[in-house]
Amino acid sequence: MSVAIAVDGLVKRYGAVEAVAGLSFSVEAGTIFGLLGRNGAGKTTTLECCIGIGKPTSGSIRVLGLDPTQPRDLSGLRRRIGVQLQATSLPEKANVREVLELYAAYYSIPPRVKEMAERVGLADKLDRQMAQLSGGEQQRLALALALQHDPDVLFLDEPTAGMDAFGRRILWTEVERLRAGGKTIVLTTHYIEEAERLSDRICMVQRGKIVAEATPADLVAEYGGAATVSIAADGFVPGAALEALGTWTRTGAEWKLATTTEPGLALAAIVTHANELGTTITALDMHRPTLEDAFIAITGETIQEAAL
Amino acid sequence: MNLARMFATQTKMHFLWYFRRDGEMMFWTLAMPVFFLVLFSFAFSNGVTAKSSSFLVPGIIGAQVLSSGFWGVGVMLATFREKHLLRRVYITPMPAWIFFASLVTYRVGLLAAQAIILIAVGALLFHVQITGNPLSIVAILILGTATFVSLGTIIGALARTTESANNIASILTVPLAFLSDAYVPIDRFPHAVSAALRLLPSTEFIETFRGVAVGGEPIAAFAVWLTVLGLWTVAGTVISARTFRWV
Repeated sequence: MSVAIAVDGLVKRYGAVEAVAGLSFSVEAGTIFGLLGRNGAGKTTTLECCIGIGKPTSGSIRVLGLDPTQPRDLSGLRRRIGVQLQATSLPEKANVREVLELYAAYYSIPPRVKEMAERVGLADKLDRQMAQLSGGEQQRLALALALQHDPDVLFLDEPTAGMDAFGRRILWTEVERLRAGGKTIVLTTHYIEEAERLSDRICMVQRGKIVAEATPADLVAEYGGAATVSIAADGFVPGAALEALGTWTRTGAEWKLATTTEPGLALAAIVTHANELGTTITALDMHRPTLEDAFIAITGETIQEAAL
Repeated sequence: MNLARMFATQTKMHFLWYFRRDGEMMFWTLAMPVFFLVLFSFAFSNGVTAKSSSFLVPGIIGAQVLSSGFWGVGVMLATFREKHLLRRVYITPMPAWIFFASLVTYRVGLLAAQAIILIAVGALLFHVQITGNPLSIVAILILGTATFVSLGTIIGALARTTESANNIASILTVPLAFLSDAYVPIDRFPHAVSAALRLLPSTEFIETFRGVAVGGEPIAAFAVWLTVLGLWTVAGTVISARTFRWV
């Protein structure tokens, strides 16, 4: 496997604010790399440095072996990357067809207006102007603009922010199709579900630094904590066999087992035991550790800022 | 890369998106200058005379060149930046100069339409005669446009927001139009004042244009001013290129 993107010691300062504080990672060709973190964690700044919009304060970046801070490299790089920026704004009086035609001209390729519009669910809106499209529809068009010239590497910055369920499904389908086509994708998101579903590797970013990087499954296994099974049943007490499964705690009528074994099997054993005791189960719950648990364990905060 | 197609498509889209589909823009571009011509023709003379209108037609065209550079290019670029259009374009393979050239071409197209309409209305209503060599006239207009586009681009480069670009452009365009011999003859001012005003590139451009277009003077008579305008253009281009920001 070759390395498509290598970022080493990236620092980006805006005046006194250090948006990115020494970030290093590499992305293998043909994989999907998710940058996961809160708003303002430095994900977008990192991505902007990779595509030549932002100039790093220090550190080095290579994308397909090219250095986006060098004008000569950047101009070669541009036609090989596709970018969906956060909240792309297109001229409000432009219609969908014209935007796709113009971007085809930018890349000197034949326009694929119908095909792209169908892929992003805008086939019946070709003559709509931007002002008449919803935010989610504009984001889908932005995705089409990133894909039309069939780039090797894609940068998607919060691609589903503001999209409805339909838009998210379209984006996820496209990402999976690109993965199958061997493309490399860097995606920033603050949606845990999206990062977990799409990424081969996830890099958690907090205050401009990487706090963890691994596959989603490894992150959960390492940081997600124990699985739990809880049961409320009158007169229930875990016997010796169940004690061996993990740590039991009791809150009122509810017994809770924290276990590192397969929680489904523990659940079955607990139900069997309750039946042997002849008790009536009033509540039963199982929780496997999730990526969100891992995120909270690693960063000490939830990914969404507390609602006001 | 197919640069010709890139340029042609981008120019066509500028025209469609910012002019053809923008009724307000069409009105300001095509109707307002004619309205100015008619209004000032009556206001600034005792009865309409070919003489006052002959002064005004090149003056208003010249003022349009100024505002085309300051508003049409300068403020437009600041708007594009603020709306994040520039950064979207910057990450495509289109060379920067193609984007810029298409914006200028689109503005020159509008200027040509304005000039033709003003000259036609001047000829029909006020018997204004354009007597100068057409090639000289076109050459002066192109140089003037280059000058004010390059100076306007500095506004677009330095202004942080659309609002501040707008303010700078208003502060420059409106007084300049009145101090540069566009609407009001500056010979009415004391000699020292008018001499000082003739150091402004806008005055030099407008008086050169008027002298050749309706004054019966040869272009060679304005060699010094044309050279000065060329220098302004070079300076404006260098400063713009050094200071321009895409994001």
